[in-house]
Amino acid sequence: MAQAAKPSAEPGRRWGLVVDLDRCTGCQACVVACQAENNVPVAGEKQAGYGRWMHWIIIHRYWEGEYPNIKARFMPVMCQQCDEAPCEPVCPVFATYHNPEGLNAQIYNRCIGTRFCGNACPYKVRTYNWFRPEFPAPLTEQLNPDVTVRSRGIMEKCTFCIQRIRRAELDARAQGREVADGEIQPACVQTCPPEALIFGDLNDPESRVSQLARSRRSFRLLEELGTDPGVIYLKGGETNA
Amino acid sequence: MSKKISRRQFIKFTAGTATAAGVAPKLHRMLQEPFVHPPEDLLPGQATWYASTCRQCSAGCGIIVRVINGRAKKIEGNPLYPLNRGKLCARGQAGLQALYHPDRLRNAVRQTGGRGSRQFEPLYWDEALDLLAEKIGSLSDPGRLAVLGGLLPDHLYRLLSLLLDSLGSPPPVTFDLHSALEGRGAAARLAQLTLGSAELPVYDLEGADVVFSFGANFLETWMSPVAQSLAYGNMRQGPFGGRGFLVQFEPRLSATAASADRWIPLRPGTEGFVALALGRIIVEERLGHAGSHRPHAALYQDVDVTEMAEASQVPIETLRQLAQLFADAEHPVAIPGGSLAGQQNGGPGMLAVQALNRVVAQFGRVGGVFLSSPGPSGALRRTAKADSFSSVQDLIGRMKAGEVDLLLVVGANPVFELPSAAGFAEAIERVPYVVCFNSFVDETGARADLILPDHTYLESWGYQVPHPGADRPAVSSQQPVVRPVHDTRASADVFLALASRLGGRPAEVLPWPDEVSFLEETVRELHGSSLGAYTADTPAGFFALWRQYGGWWSEKELPLEPEVPDPGAQPLPIVPPLFEGNQQTYPFHLYPYPSVALSDGRGAALPWLQETPDPMTTARWGTWVELNPEAARSLGVEDNDIVRVISPYGELEAPVVVFPGIQPEVVAIPVGQGHTDYGRFAQQRGSNPMDLVAPVVDSESGSLAWGATRVRLEPTGRKQALARLESLDGAGRETLG
Repeated sequence: MAQAAKPSAEPGRRWGLVVDLDRCTGCQACVVACQAENNVPVAGEKQAGYGRWMHWIIIHRYWEGEYPNIKARFMPVMCQQCDEAPCEPVCPVFATYHNPEGLNAQIYNRCIGTRFCGNACPYKVRTYNWFRPEFPAPLTEQLNPDVTVRSRGIMEKCTFCIQRIRRAELDARAQGREVADGEIQPACVQTCPPEALIFGDLNDPESRVSQLARSRRSFRLLEELGTDPGVIYLKGGETNA
Repeated sequence: MSKKISRRQFIKFTAGTATAAGVAPKLHRMLQEPFVHPPEDLLPGQATWYASTCRQCSAGCGIIVRVINGRAKKIEGNPLYPLNRGKLCARGQAGLQALYHPDRLRNAVRQTGGRGSRQFEPLYWDEALDLLAEKIGSLSDPGRLAVLGGLLPDHLYRLLSLLLDSLGSPPPVTFDLHSALEGRGAAARLAQLTLGSAELPVYDLEGADVVFSFGANFLETWMSPVAQSLAYGNMRQGPFGGRGFLVQFEPRLSATAASADRWIPLRPGTEGFVALALGRIIVEERLGHAGSHRPHAALYQDVDVTEMAEASQVPIETLRQLAQLFADAEHPVAIPGGSLAGQQNGGPGMLAVQALNRVVAQFGRVGGVFLSSPGPSGALRRTAKADSFSSVQDLIGRMKAGEVDLLLVVGANPVFELPSAAGFAEAIERVPYVVCFNSFVDETGARADLILPDHTYLESWGYQVPHPGADRPAVSSQQPVVRPVHDTRASADVFLALASRLGGRPAEVLPWPDEVSFLEETVRELHGSSLGAYTADTPAGFFALWRQYGGWWSEKELPLEPEVPDPGAQPLPIVPPLFEGNQQTYPFHLYPYPSVALSDGRGAALPWLQETPDPMTTARWGTWVELNPEAARSLGVEDNDIVRVISPYGELEAPVVVFPGIQPEVVAIPVGQGHTDYGRFAQQRGSNPMDLVAPVVDSESGSLAWGATRVRLEPTGRKQALARLESLDGAGRETLG
């Protein structure tokens, strides 16, 4: 299947996201930006009360210590876009698959809602539409036409805003040039007030994400599982030097 | 797509059409004529971006809005605007839901079943304006007209002031809870006293290497959170490899304190004491390198460090370390914040914090305190001041005494936002006619006779001078990004139409036919300035560029050093905090705080913001009471147990969140929920802590001392599962649920 690469995708790229935990303030701007861009439904108070959420980014908060010497730390967690993704081999209908740009893509039309992928994901970043999402009119006017509205029974997750990647790639190709580093900005990266999120091509050694990934502060989530995530975290509380 | 067609029917239908097309004879070729010709600049599926201004809080960030086929799809920060540089917070991102909210008012309405009946009858705008003009015309005395405004756009405030002045009525009184919680009024007064200007100062976080924030939650809601977050990011991991050190002093560990390197918990109202103690140690022990401390000795002559440490419960050893850190820093800065301002000793406390910047000589230096240069935008800067709570109390007094016959409420929701003990809800009953201009039926609208809904900000014209400003003179422009969704009307246009209906002096003072012509004339003052980032040959060309780029700003940075007035050798005042309710009956301090998502409650109507987890508790869709684990143990309550919180002025019930980051004598409740109206997503959800707050003020600035109330807690024995992301299963405090 891989040889019949879609003409719109650019093989040889590996999209990556760097999350600088020293800059992150836990402000939730990325969460709402993502919701607006990707037509993410609202779970509602009742479902939220059962501990459910539909957000594609969750900001974890960890406590360290006891009062008065207590610290709280934030960690935004979205789909880690693993190279060895545990969610992919378990899907019986190939709804979740690996695209030529290293993205862990979810094809909604194929999804039959077995939720095997959500079970297999060690990061718990896949959300499932247990109900038909509601957008009371005229809230529907806001829905982004570039992104499918998922219906009941569909698994969904962060796509690195693939619609924005495609748009930038097509624009660049129409102008006969390469996509510049930093030109593609997923909604979360675009809005992040302290600039804690940086997006780019990990296969380009000169890109900002590659440079930051080489920092001694960098680590990946649950690295020992061997999932080879495309999201790279930078440890907080210290400098790169 | 119609919901009626099933997939099976659709396939049948398309198969049928395909067959029909196949067997049909070759048709005469003819160009199809659409029923409606789309405008030439509209390309289906192609996005157009319009620049405007965010109005979710008073910061005034520049935005660009993605519009496809006349519908707004996404808001982003304006990358050119020097204040927020393309960045936006959660509330700014959620603005689209205010535009397309299902429960917005769709036209002007009159409440027919009596106030509070919520029976509304639609009115034509002409009728509504006639009605309002008649009400104003029939006033026995123009002094009996009162206007209460919220976060008014600059141009609306100017128009309204002109109108009221021409009528001979008192100027508009403004109050909004967001400004009160961030201590905007108190900060303006402090700037007047210490910097010789009512401009709010800019604290140069980006250039600072040590930041002492006294209750300023500058990464959440305080002043200009997006600009400050951007500067904070660069303070942490700046281009030059240094890493600034942030210390947060406040009773509750806010998200800003969570981002700090150290959180120093203290008793409410003692932030100023800590600042005094730090100053005293620096001056007495001649710490640091800022030169002689002799001129400052008099400031601290009455300060006893031991007493201050005891009152604030910050150990002397900690104070000494921090004083050393602050004095030794190259670019230290101290920020007097909101939690400090919400006390009856707010004024003296803020003065003590600002004095620290004086001691280390950081006025007008890198990483210190600056003012925003107004440049040629001076004329546009006649901004609405956040009025003190005392002036609102005066208004309530006049209303209660029957001295107000007509009340106009513009962009404010005083019934929800004022402490209920201030008596606004009772006072409004004494006013014969109340007109409200909000886009929703909120708590105040439900008590109005007539509602003339304004556009939401994405459908409106205007401009905003950021306050506090950017590193250069800047004004952001506001323009409609879509046509009004409903039959609403800009309040500025309503007032202009009103003036022409009234005739006489109002019509002379307000000669503009509409809001846009007024704006065009105002903006002309910026045309031709040599500072501007762009130029135009004609005023019309300038106005076009002003709308295109989203405002006007200087091309170069232009920081303004404050001309600091000589403070004299007066010792700094030492004023202990006062609290309403005695300590035996009411053992806890109430600490209401603005929610990152809902701010003071104006975000509660938007489902995206309701669903946004509070960063610290991960709670959503509700109100909760934060308690120190020790306090929870002594009361015998745990997570999700409902407690009754009782103050001398009111009570409410809410589930407990055992919160390890709070001073044991303090009970924190987020502001924003507890709406009885304001749309389906806001109403009948949670409780409003303003029902508990005592209507007392900081004697110096007259601003609301919202943190000066004591409360007691009573377990009810009932439970309510609060919606939280964090799982409470097991002993762990992991976030995933």
